[in-house]
Amino acid sequence: MTIFGLILKEIRHRKINFLLALLAVLIAVALFISFFTAGQASNRETTRLMRDMGFNLRIIPKKTDMSKFWMAGFSEHTMPEEYIDTFASQKGISYNHLVATLQAKILWQGVEVILTGLAPERCPPGREKPPMAFEIKQGTAYIGYELAQRLKLKKGNTIDILGKTLTVEKALSESGGVDDIRIQCHLRDAQDILSLEGRINEIKAIDCLCFALTDDPLAVLREELAAVLSEAKTIQMKPMATARAQTRQLVKNVFAVIMPIVVVACGAWIGVLAVMNVRDRQQEIGIMRALGYGSGRITLLFLGKALIVGLLGAAVGFFTGTALALNFGPGIFKVTAKAIKPEYVWLVWSLIVTPVFTAVSSFIPAMIAVAYDPAVTLREE
Amino acid sequence: MVVLENIVKTYRRRRGDVKALSDINLQIEKGEFVVICGPSGSGKTTLLMTIAAMLRPTNGSVCVEQKDLYTMSIRDRAKFRAENIGFVFQMFHLVPYLNVAENVALAGGVAEGNRGTIEANELLKQLGLAQRVFHKPSELSAGEKQRTAVARALFNRPKIILADEPTGNLDPDNAASVLGYLSEFHHSGGTVILATHGTEAEQFADRIIHLHNGSIDNSG
Repeated sequence: MTIFGLILKEIRHRKINFLLALLAVLIAVALFISFFTAGQASNRETTRLMRDMGFNLRIIPKKTDMSKFWMAGFSEHTMPEEYIDTFASQKGISYNHLVATLQAKILWQGVEVILTGLAPERCPPGREKPPMAFEIKQGTAYIGYELAQRLKLKKGNTIDILGKTLTVEKALSESGGVDDIRIQCHLRDAQDILSLEGRINEIKAIDCLCFALTDDPLAVLREELAAVLSEAKTIQMKPMATARAQTRQLVKNVFAVIMPIVVVACGAWIGVLAVMNVRDRQQEIGIMRALGYGSGRITLLFLGKALIVGLLGAAVGFFTGTALALNFGPGIFKVTAKAIKPEYVWLVWSLIVTPVFTAVSSFIPAMIAVAYDPAVTLREE
Repeated sequence: MVVLENIVKTYRRRRGDVKALSDINLQIEKGEFVVICGPSGSGKTTLLMTIAAMLRPTNGSVCVEQKDLYTMSIRDRAKFRAENIGFVFQMFHLVPYLNVAENVALAGGVAEGNRGTIEANELLKQLGLAQRVFHKPSELSAGEKQRTAVARALFNRPKIILADEPTGNLDPDNAASVLGYLSEFHHSGGTVILATHGTEAEQFADRIIHLHNGSIDNSG
């Protein structure tokens, strides 16, 4: 009979011990997988919600008068459009979703409106993400609620703005803010309308510097950008950036606290069961030693069982955890519900890591088994 | 041949040392049937375990087949034990999740495969257990368990069988049967060293050794 055969027969004989150990692994893996799968959804959801709060990093021309900037909501000066290329190529800064904009106040059809030209979003190399805002095609415009109501504009209408013809793509719903008197169009169209080819007056971005390894991440950012964007200065919308970072950190913290507890509890559980198993098998170990079985084979008997528990627990735990996440996740993360899907790469990791973990948990009991003196165990009646 | 020279075994206990064997000198010839008698606590089991290469004496040497057991490595000692010594215990010590044939074949080590099972079945047939080969120990009577243990002890065709109170849990008929098998092994040239506090094995013995408080009282 092979060692594997012996292990299987012992498992069949001591089903309860095996099932309890399997249950421990199953629970740990299932919790990990369901937390992780749902955690991915939570991350996506948090990102989405935070993203919806808007851009928190604004890069504007250096000579901007800040008093006028805050009054108008944009700079009266412009800077080269290529600045966005320079900014996008910077490394080591946690910004993303870069959008070059050109804004100006114009009088259109007797109404003062804000014309906003938006370029498609850019991401730093290697950190591509789905765009945060809708992309405006050239030749189209999104009309703010107040303007659309006053001028009776709706989707498909053609409008002429200072000689440039645009088609209304959408009449926006009421925002309760300045967006209600805004016309949004492609950056090229805005540059044409304002005769400011190749110029922008702001780069908006999302940045999450709050947990960087420095007391004043904004100062670091400013220093770095000053070196490459000499005509620009940086403003960070601090409460927004902090909220983003804190929310993300919260999810990570919950995960970081719960998982070690689960892993340690599971390890202890398996260890205790393995010790009980060793105690139950003292005489069996004794007779095997008497029959000439060496330490290696005795160790294999226990570690082999642990590996089987780990492999089975990992497989069953993965599918249980995934089923839990797929069943309960959509109820919790409504916005990103459809994005919750099995993370099969974690099945592979579970099958590798869990048997190692169960073997480590059973290592001390296996050593106890090896250390049993057969002369002592066989003498006991 | 088994040669014990100046064997002393002292167990270290929290409440003081306990001397289990005291200056034992003994020579057992090949093919001899030796019965070690003595009351409980006289050191019989300790002596057997020492001869079995499972319990290192505090002092002295044990030579079996011209090999000094306790100068060998643990691995070599285990191999020597597997190849040369068979055991029969009062409590049988069968592995509960293996059937009778598998328990016997276990003595051949792992990966014995079919050879082990065929030889075990043959041996069990000789010991009257042909109908029990697929039974688990929990389904056997005490006599059947001990006969299984005897079969396991014989499986590797050992030179020596060490039996520790092999009839202690058996009724007279089963005790006689087990002693009969050990006697057969002895008649086929094997050495039997049997420890007991009873007298039923004495009729098979070539020599009876009396142990008292860890010392030999009388021999020959």
